[in-house]
Amino acid sequence: MAQATIKERKSLSAWLSQEKVFRLIPFIMVEATFLLLLAVPFMLTIYISLLKWRANRPFEQAYFHGLLNYVRVLTTEDFWWALGRTFYFAGTAVFLELIFGFLLAMLAYKQFRGRRLYITIFLVPMMVVPVVGGYNFSMIYIDSGPLNQILSPITEAMGVNPRIRWLSHPIAAQWAIILADVWQWTSLTFLIFLSGFAALPQQLTNAARVLGASRWQIFWKVHFPLLKPAIMIAVIIRSMEALKLFDLSVLLTFGGPGTSTETIAFFLWRQVWQFNKYSFGAAASILLLFMFGTLIFYGIYLLVRERSIVEEERMG
Amino acid sequence: MTNDLSKRADMSFAKRYNLFFWFRHAALLTWALMIMFPIFWMISTSFKDSGDWVAWPPNWFPSFIGGGYEPTLHNYRQIFSIVGHGEGLSREYAEQAFTIWGAVRDSMVVSSISALIALLLGTFLAYSISRFNVGGKYFRYMILTIRMVPPIIIAIPVVMYYAILIPFATQTVLNYRFSLIDSYTGLCLLYIATTLPFVIWMMLNFIEEIPKTIEHAAQIMGAGRIYTLRRVVMPLVAPGMVVTFLFIFILNWSEFLLALTLTQPRVITLPILLNKFQSAMEGRLYGPQAAIGTVITIPVVILGVLIQKHLITGFSFGTIRK
Repeated sequence: MAQATIKERKSLSAWLSQEKVFRLIPFIMVEATFLLLLAVPFMLTIYISLLKWRANRPFEQAYFHGLLNYVRVLTTEDFWWALGRTFYFAGTAVFLELIFGFLLAMLAYKQFRGRRLYITIFLVPMMVVPVVGGYNFSMIYIDSGPLNQILSPITEAMGVNPRIRWLSHPIAAQWAIILADVWQWTSLTFLIFLSGFAALPQQLTNAARVLGASRWQIFWKVHFPLLKPAIMIAVIIRSMEALKLFDLSVLLTFGGPGTSTETIAFFLWRQVWQFNKYSFGAAASILLLFMFGTLIFYGIYLLVRERSIVEEERMG
Repeated sequence: MTNDLSKRADMSFAKRYNLFFWFRHAALLTWALMIMFPIFWMISTSFKDSGDWVAWPPNWFPSFIGGGYEPTLHNYRQIFSIVGHGEGLSREYAEQAFTIWGAVRDSMVVSSISALIALLLGTFLAYSISRFNVGGKYFRYMILTIRMVPPIIIAIPVVMYYAILIPFATQTVLNYRFSLIDSYTGLCLLYIATTLPFVIWMMLNFIEEIPKTIEHAAQIMGAGRIYTLRRVVMPLVAPGMVVTFLFIFILNWSEFLLALTLTQPRVITLPILLNKFQSAMEGRLYGPQAAIGTVITIPVVILGVLIQKHLITGFSFGTIRK
């Protein structure tokens, strides 16, 4: 009996270690997870997006509604505003992050005393829980916060009450969110550029110097082209993350004042979880999946291209 | 004459160098101070008593180094429920469950279990991709789409799935309504799915550093595939697995949107707990919030500093290696 089980186990392990089986085990497991956890829900969502269903009636009594939900999503003005705002936030924040990250990396890539300490400090925001970052900034922007205290000499000279409510003004609130995002994620662009600078081949710089290139020329004609893949990678990764912006709108402004800081994620969350428009949310999420899908595929295409360039540089 | 000139050139070079030295340190120090300020402010708020939370002008430093507020541990005693109910605060506040122990437990369980499972699945898949090219050349890139999709687009279908389809299916098949909403399992499953791309990419980097010849040597000596994997590959990638685990743990620990939409009120992770106090606009409890924020932040910052070198690999999906 015992021998039989041992034999069985042996043959099982032998079967498992055949290459054609062995290579597929993890693949099938992961694909099954994705299929069950993501693909099936999306099928369900497509079905729900064709129903007329709100919280006032149970799911079983929802009736078929055709494509009207999609029409309603596409004709909702707030949807387009939220989408535009998301791209505006992401674009501005990523632009600032790239500039700051690049300048900091330029200052910090060469060896000098205290470099490690600076780098460690610069990395801290990246690890701070985003919700906590949002909370921190809400403390800084409140009317009796340190920001107003620092600005109080200027505001008093201008004859304004120094206790400004930053988050009650639409544009100031938008910039509050952008700055909080810049605070948190400049560290990532900094890191990417830092490793980009570290990988610059020293021989090329020396050769250019021997040939009589100025510092400016060396930077623009030698270093910058070599850094392009790193810049592209930073842009792609950061944009994809910045388009998800949600935590900061919830924590800092809760979409307000009005709808001036509603990102697309916040808008949808509010539609589904506060107004209970389930089928509307389903239609919107399917539409967004297609919109973002094209963007993501393009982003990944670029990522593959830039990565192969980086790899070639490493090899050659 | 010529000697003099060269000396002067040297001098000006040194001067310029010195100027740059100071410029560099001034710029980096300014940025470091700006980076640390919000964290400093949170920590100092966490030691303030209720009168000092929104005092104008705000006090920066505690009294023992010449600042304006008396430091107190009250906020911490409150969130760790060391203090009795109602002490120092009005009744309605005291009745809100303040303690963070439940949320700490939920966060720990969800983050670590899902990180562990994702790590195991992802490591094997990464090994399989690296050695047998499973799924084709572009599979490793396609898997990134899951991470790049905004989580709200995933959250809406999954909530409907958990709330409608799974109860319905289990009702018909098992005659028992089984809902994954607001449960550890539901949240863990989704965390596993959304962090797998990170695991696969980080582990691919670590696995591809191992020379294939070692495995060939083991196989020639008669080791089976599973034995090779367990005794040859695993020890070599173990440090990488630890790093990946910690990275995924940090990601799960900070996750907000999925936890907000899929759980509550039974399962409450720490970011959700912090947010709960935020939404009560009047009478916000800045002090305990700051204390919760500090408690959430410190462990992940420590872990992050430990794996500092590898953070870049993780966040850039392995496109940039250290």
